[in-house]
Amino acid sequence: MVGAPQEGQRSKGSTYFRLNLSAFLDIPAPTMADPFDSALDLLRRLNPKDTAQHLQNIIQIAPDLAEDLLSSVDQPLTVKRCKKTGRDYLICDYNRDGDSYRSPWSNEFDPPLDEGGAGGVGAGGSEGAGEGAVPGERVRKLEIKANEAFDVYRELYYEGGVSSVYFWNTDDGFAGVVLMKKSSTPGGTNQGVWDSIHVFEARERGRTTNYQLTSTVILQLSSSTNSLGDLDLSGNMTRQIEQDLPVDNDENHIVNIGRLVEDMELKMRNLLQEVYFGKAKDIVGDLRSTKLLSKDRAERDLQRELISGIGK
Amino acid sequence: MSSDTGILSSFVEGAPPGELDDVINDIRNLLVSTSISDLGDAFQRYNEEQFVTAKLPGSSQHVIISSHSSLGDGRYYDIETSSSFAFDHETQKASGVQSHVLESEQADLVKSTLKSLAQYAKDYFPNAVYGVYPIEDHSKIAVILVANKYSPKNFWNGRWRSFYTYDPSSGTLEGAIKVDVHYYEDGNVRLLTTKPVTASIPSGTGSSILREITTAEKKYQDELNKGFTTLSEGTFKSLRRQLPITRQKIEWEKVAGYRLGQDIGGGSSRR
Repeated sequence: MVGAPQEGQRSKGSTYFRLNLSAFLDIPAPTMADPFDSALDLLRRLNPKDTAQHLQNIIQIAPDLAEDLLSSVDQPLTVKRCKKTGRDYLICDYNRDGDSYRSPWSNEFDPPLDEGGAGGVGAGGSEGAGEGAVPGERVRKLEIKANEAFDVYRELYYEGGVSSVYFWNTDDGFAGVVLMKKSSTPGGTNQGVWDSIHVFEARERGRTTNYQLTSTVILQLSSSTNSLGDLDLSGNMTRQIEQDLPVDNDENHIVNIGRLVEDMELKMRNLLQEVYFGKAKDIVGDLRSTKLLSKDRAERDLQRELISGIGK
Repeated sequence: MSSDTGILSSFVEGAPPGELDDVINDIRNLLVSTSISDLGDAFQRYNEEQFVTAKLPGSSQHVIISSHSSLGDGRYYDIETSSSFAFDHETQKASGVQSHVLESEQADLVKSTLKSLAQYAKDYFPNAVYGVYPIEDHSKIAVILVANKYSPKNFWNGRWRSFYTYDPSSGTLEGAIKVDVHYYEDGNVRLLTTKPVTASIPSGTGSSILREITTAEKKYQDELNKGFTTLSEGTFKSLRRQLPITRQKIEWEKVAGYRLGQDIGGGSSRR
């Protein structure tokens, strides 16, 4: 079964922490890098718009890396409609069991997991089938709360789009993923799609909980007009944060996770703005000057003369 | 095996500006059975398509690699230095420089265009390599300019490419400007643009060709800068607000306790 993260599988969080740890401990880089790290490096270089295709290609030539890569590499999210509630939800590796996906609104898998069964998974879960993907009773309650809260968040910040939250139990608490997707109205000359993927682990330690959050935003923008030609500005950025926060009751978890995600998205939105529109424009300006370079030089020379003149 | 070669070739040809060596290293570390030397065709396509530049040995001059300046057998030529050279597509190094004198019925047009192109490059590009070559059995000329700036320490690299053909018999200039920028600090962001250019230049002199190119490229850069603003203030903003319409962050204590549909964050969010 390839489903939600299990014991021994590299989750998004642990991958990045593993990389950070070796940098922190100042371990010298081996002459031959780990194939997994090389695959990630390759995906960081090739056109991010085609990450899904590149990922498939890497898996074809290095099948051993399939499971680790599929659970580590973020791809644009797909929207599915919940058959029971009629509401849209987002699918990813964390609500998947084989070819079935669990709706956060109904808690049922589509297509149903058990052949001939009633469909979905009962409160007790069913042994083996998607055990990692179906949270226990307490965590499912939290998951329902989180979906309600982030639905409000989505409306306030995105004014549209789709959100989904999936939780699962871990040995020392629980973990989850908060997903957001918004696409611009089709048909215009400018197009855009935003995908947010926030993966967190909550380690419960008595009155405080340790939260580790790894957030990725995938932002694809394009424009096509006669005067501009074709422009594609696509990519993804990832950031991490770790915090210990007090927890008195389960509602505090929603508040803590909500704030962490909200602060992170604000930070990342500012970062994306800076990189996509500031940095990219500056680099183009470094390649070709909008002004005559000789004029630039002449102005600088003149300035130097004036300054040295004042000095005399 | 052959499909592996196809995949690896697509990785090579997709390498961002200045990052071919990194991509090759990654491919090596994937421990595939296909050898890097089997990817020779992909290296050549990449180098010719990207107008990769090489320093001529024993000189400070940089020259362009393109299919339009190819002599076959891995050799290329450059008109400004009147030389030909061998080029290793895997290491991107030039060697075996020989004298090469241009013999073409377009020789005068090539030389006058080259002179104007050199001035244009100096005027607007801090770091550009360029060339003009007779093509299609000496019936047309190709005008090529490439400007690279690599800053791997700051996790970005960029490339500007211009390619035009000029047909003296019809007086038509056709070509395209392409920009490729890669930013990869804790992420992977890529800007890829293509702007087709066509113009009619009946009095086809080198200076009139470059006057047209200068105008087109200046106009394009202005449009591109406007495009950044439009995307930032239009599309980007409409995808996600910086703050809710109330200009306040969310009051999570309320959200966690309340049900959907009630007022959150001090004001109604519903349209």
